[in-house]
Order: sequence, then C-alpha cells, then structure tokens
Amino acid sequence: MAAGGGGVAEPFSPAGVPCAFSPQSQAYFALASTDGHLRVWETANNRLHQEYVPSAHLSGTCTCLAWAPARLQAKEGPQRKKRKSEAVGTSNQVDLLALGTAVGSILLYSTVKGELHSKLISGGHDNKVNCIQWHQDNGCLYSCSDDKHIVEWNTQTCKVKCKWKGDNSSVSSLCISPDGKMLLSAGRTIKLWVLETKEVYRHFTGHATPVSSLMFTTIRPPNESQPFDGITGLYFLSGAVHDRLLNVWQVRSENKEKNAVMSFTVTDEPVYIDLTLSENKEEPVKLAVVCRDGQVHLFEHILNGYCKKPLTSNCTIQIATPGKGKKSTPKPIPILAAGFCADKMSLLLVYGSWFQPTIERVALNSKEPHMCLVRDISICWAPKVETAVTKVRTPMMNSEAKVLVPGIPGHHAAIKPAPPQTEEIESKRKLGENEVSIEERLGALDIDTKKEKGNLPQTNSFPVLLTQGLESNDFEMLNKVLQTKNLNLIKRTVLRMPLHAVIPLLQELTKRLQGHPNSAVLMVQWLKCVLTIHASYLSTLPDLVPQLGTLYQLMESRVKTFQKLSHLHGKLILLITQVTASEKTKGPTCPAQKAKLVYEEESSEEESDDEIADKDSDDNWDEDEEEKGSEKDEDVDEEEEEEEEDAEEKGEENGEDRDVASEKELNGDSDLDPENESEEE
Amino acid sequence: MRGWGSVSRGKRPINRLPSGKLGAGPVTASPCACAKMVEEESLRVVRCGGSELNFRRAVFSADSKYVFCVSGDFIKVYSTATEECVHILQGHRNLVTGIQLNPRNHLQLYSCSFDGTIKLWDYIDGILIKTFIVGCKLHALFALACEDSVFVIINKEKPDVFQLVSVKLPKSSSQEIEAKELSFVLDYINQSPKCIAFGNEGEYVAAVRDFYLSVYFFKKKTTSRFTLSSSRNKKHAKNNFTCVACHPKEDCIATGHRDGKIRLWRNFDDEKKYTYTCLHWHHDLVMDLAFSVTEGSSLLSGGRESVLVEWREAAEKNKEFLPRLGATIEHISVSPAGDLFCTSHSDNKMIIIHRNLEASAVIQGLVKDRNIVTGLMIDPRTKALVLNGKPGHLQFYSLQSDKQLYNLDIIQQEYINDYGLIQIELTKAAFGCYGNWLATVEQRQEKETELELQMKLWTYNKKTQGFVLNTKVNMPHEDHITALCFCNAQKSENPTLVTTSKDGHFKVWILTDDSDIYKKAVGWTCDFVGSYHKYQATNCCFSEDGSLLAVSFEEIVTIWDSETWELKCTFCQRAGKIRHLCFGRLTCSKYLLGATENGILCCWNLLSCALEWSAKLNMRVLEPDPNSENIAAISQSSTGSDLFVFRPSEPRPLYIQKNISREEVQWGVFVPRDVPESFTSEAYQWLNRSQFYFLTKSQSLLTFSTQSPEEKLTPTSKQLLAEETLPTTPFYFILGKHRQQQQDDKLNEALEDELVQLPLTENIPAISELLHTPAHVLPSASFLCSMFVNSLLLSKGTKSAEEIPDDVSMEEEKESVDSDEENNFTEQVQDTNNTDLGKDIIHQLSKSEEKELRKFRKVDYSWITAL
Repeated sequence: MAAGGGGVAEPFSPAGVPCAFSPQSQAYFALASTDGHLRVWETANNRLHQEYVPSAHLSGTCTCLAWAPARLQAKEGPQRKKRKSEAVGTSNQVDLLALGTAVGSILLYSTVKGELHSKLISGGHDNKVNCIQWHQDNGCLYSCSDDKHIVEWNTQTCKVKCKWKGDNSSVSSLCISPDGKMLLSAGRTIKLWVLETKEVYRHFTGHATPVSSLMFTTIRPPNESQPFDGITGLYFLSGAVHDRLLNVWQVRSENKEKNAVMSFTVTDEPVYIDLTLSENKEEPVKLAVVCRDGQVHLFEHILNGYCKKPLTSNCTIQIATPGKGKKSTPKPIPILAAGFCADKMSLLLVYGSWFQPTIERVALNSKEPHMCLVRDISICWAPKVETAVTKVRTPMMNSEAKVLVPGIPGHHAAIKPAPPQTEEIESKRKLGENEVSIEERLGALDIDTKKEKGNLPQTNSFPVLLTQGLESNDFEMLNKVLQTKNLNLIKRTVLRMPLHAVIPLLQELTKRLQGHPNSAVLMVQWLKCVLTIHASYLSTLPDLVPQLGTLYQLMESRVKTFQKLSHLHGKLILLITQVTASEKTKGPTCPAQKAKLVYEEESSEEESDDEIADKDSDDNWDEDEEEKGSEKDEDVDEEEEEEEEDAEEKGEENGEDRDVASEKELNGDSDLDPENESEEE
Repeated sequence: MRGWGSVSRGKRPINRLPSGKLGAGPVTASPCACAKMVEEESLRVVRCGGSELNFRRAVFSADSKYVFCVSGDFIKVYSTATEECVHILQGHRNLVTGIQLNPRNHLQLYSCSFDGTIKLWDYIDGILIKTFIVGCKLHALFALACEDSVFVIINKEKPDVFQLVSVKLPKSSSQEIEAKELSFVLDYINQSPKCIAFGNEGEYVAAVRDFYLSVYFFKKKTTSRFTLSSSRNKKHAKNNFTCVACHPKEDCIATGHRDGKIRLWRNFDDEKKYTYTCLHWHHDLVMDLAFSVTEGSSLLSGGRESVLVEWREAAEKNKEFLPRLGATIEHISVSPAGDLFCTSHSDNKMIIIHRNLEASAVIQGLVKDRNIVTGLMIDPRTKALVLNGKPGHLQFYSLQSDKQLYNLDIIQQEYINDYGLIQIELTKAAFGCYGNWLATVEQRQEKETELELQMKLWTYNKKTQGFVLNTKVNMPHEDHITALCFCNAQKSENPTLVTTSKDGHFKVWILTDDSDIYKKAVGWTCDFVGSYHKYQATNCCFSEDGSLLAVSFEEIVTIWDSETWELKCTFCQRAGKIRHLCFGRLTCSKYLLGATENGILCCWNLLSCALEWSAKLNMRVLEPDPNSENIAAISQSSTGSDLFVFRPSEPRPLYIQKNISREEVQWGVFVPRDVPESFTSEAYQWLNRSQFYFLTKSQSLLTFSTQSPEEKLTPTSKQLLAEETLPTTPFYFILGKHRQQQQDDKLNEALEDELVQLPLTENIPAISELLHTPAHVLPSASFLCSMFVNSLLLSKGTKSAEEIPDDVSMEEEKESVDSDEENNFTEQVQDTNNTDLGKDIIHQLSKSEEKELRKFRKVDYSWITAL
C-alpha cells in the first residue's frame, strides 16, 4: 500500500528523499537520507530502529527504496481469504528492503539481521536506478533506470531474469498491476507492459515532465458487466516532477483514449503519495499527497469515469510550531511522508527533519477542510540515546501541575447548598445587592479614613485598612493587617469591622490557612476572633454552609491527624520533662542534707543494689527489666522506660527528686490541652 | 532465436540450490494444509508476547551476530544488531532447558528439553538436523569440543537428586537416533546449570551445591571436594554457593555465594594445598558469574543490585561497573569472540553489552517481573496493550508487532533493588476520553496504619506528543482505592472520573477550569462524594451513554444519576460481595451485570429494576466488548478456566470454550480490530470486531486464533527466499583464498569470477574501443570470439573450461546485437526477449577442440590489448 513515492529523487530535486512505510501494518518507516545513511524508524514509538551505511554510500547514494512484500507462502484462493489471515497473524514480519543507488546497483538489506543481504549488480543497470518495485507474488523485483532499461530480477538467485529497453529516455517510475500480470512504466510516455511477453499493451501520454510516481488506485473495475480480465477498467494515478496536477488514467479496452480521465490538483509538486485501494465501486479512493511545501492533501473520491475539472482536496493538513510568546511566530514544520493505517481512518504522518523525524498517528475526520496541527518538535532535536536502549519514557511533571492535598478545596467535594434552584437565585440576587452597597460604602469609608488621618489611632485605621484591602484584594494592605500578632488589636479590629466584610475576611483567612503552617498560626487567631465575635451575624446567613464549606473541610482534614499528634506530643513532653528534671538535679547538687533528713533505710538499699547490678552485666537485663516493670507503671513505652532509667541512674541517691520528676510527668500530661495545642501549632 | 532461448532456460542447470531452504523441513507448511485449516476455523488458544526469555543463559553464535535463548518450548534466534527475532526453532514438545553451540561445527546448535530429546539445529536456516532420544527429563546441557558426547543433568531415581551424566551421541544418517549410552559423572548436584562449569578445555568439571564445591578430573577420574564452614554462627550462615564459573585457560574456579562474596579457587587439584581469594562487592547473593572468553582476564558478576561488575585481572580494586540495568541479573553469558556480553534479567529481557561495558541492544519480552495489578487496558491512541511493567512503570505493548513499545515512568523515583524493601507500587490506571487522559494510582503501605496514596492525572499533550502531569492528588481517599473509572460517553462535555475506596466513599472528579487571570489552566477537582451506609465501595462502572453510574458497596449495587449525583436505586442480591460490575452495551444497555464472590452472575434490568436472570458461575473476568453487545466471562473451576461469551439479553451463551487455560485467568480485555474480520461461522462472530486477550496468573498473555499453528508460529520461514550473494571484496583476493580454492571448487570459482570480472571488462579501454567500433569494420563475431576465449583460457592457466561461456556472454551481449545465426554461445541477457544463459555450452566443445585451445595458450595474445 505504501510502496510509492520512492523513486522521486531527481538530481535537481533535493526534497525527494527516498522513504517508505513497511507494508501491511506500517510498523517501520525506512528513510535513506542524502548523507547515504539508511535509517529505519519504528512508527509506533517513534524510535530509531536501526541505521545502516552502505559501503559505497558516498559514490552510490540511495536513490529509491522499496520494502519487500511481507507475504505468506504462495497462496491459492480468493483475495478475501488472504486478507483475513494476514490481519489475524502478527506474523507478517517484513524483512528485505531494496535500495537502488546512483551507480546502478541494487542492494537488498535485511532489516531483521541488520546487514546487507545481497547485492544485485551483474547485468543490471549502469546508471542511476529510479524506481524499484517488488512483485507481490512471484518474488521478482523490477527496476528502472536512467539507462533507459527496465530489469526484471530474480531475487532468489539475485540474477537478471530479463532486461529490456523501456523507453527512449530514462525510465523514471514503475508500478505493477493488482493482478501481477502487467507493469506500468513511465518514461517519456506511460507504457503498460504485459509482463509475460514484455510487449507494450497501451500507451498513455499527458505529462510534460518526468513522471515521478505511478500507482494503481483500484483493484476492480467500476462496472462489472463484462468479465474482468485483470486490467481493463482499472484506474491508476500518476504524478510528475514540477507538476501540480496528479492525473488519473483508466485502462480502456479500446485503444483510443490516451488522455487522463481526471486530475487532482495540489499546491506543490507531489513528494510522497499514499492511497487506500478501493475494493468495490462504492468505496471511495482515499488519497494522501505530500507536497514539497510540506502540506498533505487528502482526497476522497469515487472513481467512476471522466471528469474534466481538476478536483481539489477535501482536507489539507499542515503542521506548525507553537509561537512562544510574542517574539517568535509559528513556523511551519514540513511533512515528509504520510501513510494510511490499516483501518483507513487514520494517517501516519512523518514530519520534522530528515534526520530526526517525528512519526505520529492522526485520526482523520473528513469534515474539516483544513487541519493545522501545532507541534513542539524542539524537544525532539536532541537524539535520545538513553531511551533507545532502556525504552523508558518519562512523562513531564512540571511545576504547573495542580496539587491537591487534603484540606485544599477540590480535594473533597465542595459543600453545596442543599435547597434547589429557586433559593440559589435568591442568594445570587443578594450578592448583587451587596456589591452595590459595597461600592457605596467604599466611598463612605474613604471619607472616614480622611477624617481619621489626623488622629492616626492604630485601632481605628486597622479595620479600615482591612476592609479596603478586602475590597481591592490588595495583598500588601492585607498583609499589614493580618500579620499582626497583638491579640487585643485583633479583637478590636474584628469588633469594629463592617459586617459585610466578614465573609470576605473569612474567605481570605481560609485561603491563607491553606498556605504555610506558620502563617496559619496567625490566621487561626483571626479566625477565632471572627467566629466568636460575629457568630450571631454568621448564623443569620442563609448560605453559610456553602460559604464556609471549604473552611470546614480544611479544619477537618487538619485535625484528622490531631489525635496521633497529641499522642506524640504527650509522649514527647513526658520525655522532655524527665530529661530536664534529671538535668536540674545534676546541676545544683546539695543532696547531702536532705538525705540526712529523710532516712528510709530499706528502700534506698534495694534500689541502689538494683542499679549496680544493672550496670555490671548486660546478661541479666531481662530480669532487671521485669523488676522495673513491676516497679513502674505498665503503660509506658520502652523508650520512656529507658529514659526513666537514665533519670534514675542519675538521681539514684535522691528519692525525693524522683518524686518531683513523676509529678512533672503528671504536669506534662495535663499540659495536653487540645486547644492550646492547636494554637501553638 | 526466441524459441531456442526458451529451451535453454528450461535446460539450464541450477548450479546452486538455496541450501536447505527448499528442503521440506518440519517448519515449512504446505499451502494446501493452511487453506484447509482456515476453512475449518477451529478456535485455538495461542500465546502472545512470548514466554520468558530469562530461563537459561543466552548463547552467542561464533560470529556474535546472533544470540540464542530458550523460550518455552522454542529456541529463539535474535540478531544482536537489530534486536529482531530471526528464527524460532521449534520442534521440542516441552520446556527447552539448555542450549549449546556444537563445538565441532559452530553453525549448529544443540538443545535439550524436558521431553527427553537432544536436538541439533542449523540455526542459520532454522532447520532441525537431528534428534537424539535420551528418554528421561533433561535439565541442562553441556558440550565439549574434545569429545563426541554431551553432558546432561538428569534426575533418575528421586525427585530431588540430580546427576550429571554424559550421553554418547551415535553417528548415524537418520533423523531420529536413540542415544541411550549414558555414563555417570557426578551425583548429588544442583539442578541449575549455573552450578556446573567445565574448565580448561574440559579437563575438569566443577559443581557446587549448598556448602561444598566438588571438582571432577576427567583424566585422573578423581573427585576432590571442598567444604565451606556452614556452622550456625551468623558470620558463615550465608556461605551457600550459588553459581560457579571456570577460567578458560588456567586452573581457576570462581564461585559465587549467597552473602555476595566471590571466591577464586586455585590449586584445587590438591585437596590440602588449595587456596582461595575473596572478592566482595555485592551485598546480596551473586546470581551469575562469567569469565571473559578469550584471555580470561576479567570476571563478570551480577546479582540483585542489577549492576554488572567486571573484575579486571581478578583483583578487588580493578572493578568496572555497568549500573542501572533495571532488574536483577539472572544470567551472564559471553560471546565466543569475546566482544559481546549478554545479561538476562528477571523482568524478561536480555541486554547485549559491548566489551567496553556499553549496552547496545535490549531484547525485551512482556515484562513479567511483578504481579499485574492494573489489569489490561488498551491505549486508545496507540492501540497498545497497557499494564504494569517495570516497577513503577506502565508498559505499552504493541499487539500488532508483538513487542514492547516503551515503559512510561509514572512514579519517577529511583528504584532500589533490594530484597524486602517496601516500594511504591502502581496499583491502578485508567485511560479516558480517547486517550487524552490517564489516571494512575500509586500506593505504599509499610504498616497497617501507614498508607500513602497518590493519584496522578496525566493529560496527553499533542504538541510534545507525550503525557504531562495535570493534577496530583495526595491521599485521594483514606483507604485503598478499589476501582477507577472514566466516563467515556460520546457526548459528555467534561471528563469525569470516579474512584471508589475501601473507606466507604466514592469520589467523582471532574475537570474544571480553575484558571486565574494569568494562565489558562484546567485541573481536576472533586465534585461529589458519595457513600452508602458505610459499606466499602468496591467497584464502579459508567453506563455507555454516561448517564448512570453504578457503584457496588460490598453486596449492594447502587445506581446514581450522573447529572445530579442522586441515588436512583439499589440492587441487592445477598449473594456475596460484588467482584465485577459492568453495563450492557448498544441494544443491551438496559442491563447491568454483576459477578459476586460466591460465584453468582446476576443480570439486572434497569428499566424494571428487577433481576432478569442469574447464573452460577465462579467469575474471574467479566469484560464487555466495546464494539458489540457481547460480554466475555471467564470462570474458574477446579479443572481450569472456561470462557463464556454471551449477550445479556439472551439466555444462551454465544460461545463456550472449556479449558482455555489450566491456571487461573486474572485479567482479560477486548482489543478492537483495525480491520474487521468476517467469520461466517456463528460461533466465532464475536471475534469479528474485536480480539480477546487474557492474562493468566503466571503472566502469559493468551489470545484466540483460528489460524493453523504453522501459519501462526512460523513467521520467518515464509520470508522471501532470497539468496545471500554478496560480491567478493578485494580483501578476499589479498588473503589468497582465491587461488587455493581454485582446484577444489570450480563451480563456485566460476561464479565469483563472473562477478568480479564484470566491472573489469567494462573499464579496459581496449575492450570498450572494440565494442564501439562499427560492426561492419570488425571481423566476424565468431572469429573474434574464439580468439577471445582462448585468451581468457591462457590467463587462467588452468584447464577449467567452464568459465568460457560466462565471460564470453558478457562480451556477446554488447557486441552481437545484430549478428544473426548465432554461434554456440548464448547470451546471458538479450534485448526484449529474455533468455537465460545456458551453461551447457561446455559440453559442446569436443575434446579435440579443447586440445587445440590449450595449444593457444602459448601464443602471445598481447596484441588484443593494443587494439
């Protein structure tokens, strides 16, 4: 299907770089660039599959290439059957690639082995090879050249089977008929040869310039009244160098009609052509023509006879870079080749540079007459060696991505007003009224500030600043007010602020609460004041629940871990108090007197004995601990136990100090007032 | 002339048959057989994505062009340059367990299998040459150059006692030979071939097991045994041997151990004087060792760290590393030429590594390292199969070309290969909106209470042709997410995603425009949180048009209106927790199907809100076909898995296939076909628009095919039969092979000469002058010809008369376009009408003529150059 367009390269046409999609599933795209390298790309993941440099790549650059048909063994039976089995099997592996060179030799390259398979030279061409076509069934290869000859090769033996003069000038293009019995060649005129006898069956004339591509477009004639002989009634397509018209010809039974049946018009010289064969007369031929100006023109037409006017394209596809900012304007990216996928509904586009093309599958919707795809290929410029070996792709994770953590609005469903729509309208109206009144009040407030400027009492200017800041959403003004730490000032400000500013203030506070925890500490003070002072006003609001929903969720999610935190806090306090207690006892030691005063003989002895044993041997650890366990409370953690031991060791001589420590423990526990905690945090 | 030409073509002797390719080996299927199979259309389960490639060490061909690996019942031949599979050698009827190049003919390959046979292959053409029937299960194979027998590992008596025996391979011309002559070498060895190594050109064999190393010397026929301390103290607890390798030249054995140490043993022929040195870099067990082949100066080792270590000169300080190979190194092999290494990894891949430790190619099968938890999905954009790949990655696997496309790094954190580490795992993924959105869920749970969850929503950026992170949600739920579902309705204006979780809620996420004035941005926000009586939400599913959402809460299915998120109705069957849930499609869209854990499949009618039917089936997979009403269900029974294809509206299943797999099937998916099939048989019509793939517990990907096995499994045997002919290079002549072969191989010689002389004749000015002289000035062609032939004979200096026609024909082609009644020499190529070159000319030269020609040798023909 994608065999054509290969042999476009003329010495005066640098754009026509030989390239082709592999047959059937289009898994590969082979491209022979002007530096003599053959590169094979995987179409599915846009990866360089292999690169091959023929030994004579500088003298004999590649002028055309063609994939060998991925075929199963010689096949009987109707076409239908064949299609089916091919579609199911993933087995249709393609292998051989034929390369024609400027010196006339033909190379067969094996893409599976990654090496040259064979070289066809003996008795072949002595000038540039223009086009190569594989025969779909019999394993023959046809090539045409500037030396005016057409050669039939036997690929099994790599020998010339037949060579004949195709034209008086160079033969530029070839195409084999769907049934494999005829061959089209284009030199000065287009000739249809009978392959068996090598005799000319028909002549077609019409192009002024050398024909660059030839393709059969149908496999069955449109009118099936007479028995089909394999060729009569078929249409084929031809494109020529420097010609903006693609001609469609029909093979007629009578030999009179020599001119084109119809023609397609494109914007520039066609560089690469692909089409979907129509199998019956209802099915339109889909044609994709890549022009030298980098556009793709898509045609969809049912071929049924003569049409005088050149047809214009149904759809044009262009690709451009995104214009970044105002500086750079979008630049067009040339499309290099286009091939229809097996489902005929999507197109594989190859675009960018010849050395690092991008291959993309684009779905076709024929409704739009013009498609402009914006693609950023700047990333593709750097060759990705790393990914070639590891086959890992890293999706972009940029800072612009939205991050939702518990508590941020959007993480949980917003709390919506429960009542249905009628009330919503009401609330909207209310909002509207509010806005008007705010404007008015703003004016009034401005006057207020002017009046009070003389006095500059801080308590007065704060509410004003706050309301102004809330109205204008002035970040600095709000910062000035909200970052105060004076509790009294906060209280007074909240008391004196106008009522209508309460909700905006709450929203602002919510926003700031989501931010850094340090700033949230301050905001909590404000929140507390607002909620205590304006509780009565807030309770009158009908849409309070949705208004404060996010705040509620935020608090909810923030205090979710509170229980764990308070556990941790409690334990830490326990430790810290004990450590500090032990340190205190270390510093000012005057235990001698007390020891004399408090005299408890038995208990102190026991303890000291224990401690000594503890220090001496690690082996008796277990026992020791058991004893300890019996002595101390059961519910303390191991860590604490250890810490306590340390404390004991240090304060062993003093029984009372220990008591103090245990008292502090209790204090530590009682310190865990949840409200205090939250405020500290 | 024409008639003659055609005759000559018919008579033309074929001087070189494409060797072997035309032979009717078992691989080539006759076309008529294929056609018959197609007509029968029996549905078979076939494997896709191949078996594991890392079962045994890979083997290189002698020229390092190919690498062989065992893969299930087959041996695969890969090209090291292109990563492509060149041949699949098939013929074994059970798991292939060992391969080895034939040491006496490096174009042949031995293989052994559990089916008790050793087979000899010609790997270049992919042809089975011989089969040796041994009879018992063969676990590994070793071949040595010096002997005409091979060594295999068998277990004869007890199930866990393995023996190394040598098998004498009898010489015979028949295809199948019995090889029963076993001679015992070593007993109580480890089953793995990594624990056996032959050293110093087969002088001794070293085997390791548990804590001892035994070395058997073939000449002395003695065994020496070395035991490492295996006492219970902690220091030596991990002294177990894991693998062994022998130095190719010296008497040196390297052993790998469980604690990561490598010991190099010397002087082991004396049980008293032996010494060993330690190399220690690996922190975990050494999986495999290999000496570089040519000089043996460096030792390669690899393990779980997935770092290939090269120890130069066997010294601890001279280490070179190739890190980040992706997964545990299971096997290391070295090419006979020494220029390439190959490592096999636990994630079913092989890496070809150059001598300078640069990875050059990756042969990757379907990643099989870890458990598949995301299920099977189809990327609507590339039509690739998507599932868990490397840790933290999603793998995109092309079903059309049957190979992995790439791995998409979702978690983007360095993976630490260490045993027992709890990693972040990719647990859920879903594609939405024609592949424009991808949602992924990753989780890490170290303890019961410490769950880390993250949901990422990726958008496909067309400009850069890749996924870009759009929204990241930390802790989207408070407990594990059980299901993830996009609303894929045609008309849905904004993308919607539903997540269900064990915390009893399901959340609806929608894409909203949360742009501030500066940048246009869209992001996902939670739109609705639903719950039902604090039950765990287990599954969710959108109806085809997106108007209804079904969420199952343990035993209860709830139906929600997707516009208002109102609870519409509930279904409860009290038949166990719902495991699968799906809506019917197209004409069956009024049905909702649910499969429960207790093995009941229920079908509810959404219009009547009643149970339509239920069936007792222990469902593992319930997958709707996106292109039709069909639903595929796979049930698990004690004997195996059965497939049922049905329509919710019809009581009778469309298609039943019992025993599609012996093991449990975990996931299944319908893949829409690019080109619809046209199965006429009613039973297979469900395969017309989509193909069904399923994944078993051992992670083999299977599908259904109507093709005959030959057609499906032999891709390369049906290639174009093109002969490999490359012109000889000047180097060829410099090396002098040309002259030596002249006497031996005349046919070939003639061929080469023809190829070489072609450009020469064109370039000599005298000849071109001769050719350009008008024909009427020249003497008659026959006269010139005979003289020319004689001159050629002289230059050869031998009596090989065979070249005569070849060279002359080249001459003739240009010269005698118009010469009529032809001399005896035919043309290779003629104008318009093709006649092949007849080589039978030789026979027409009588002996007397030949003698005459020989006389001509002495005559000076230098005049011809002066022409």
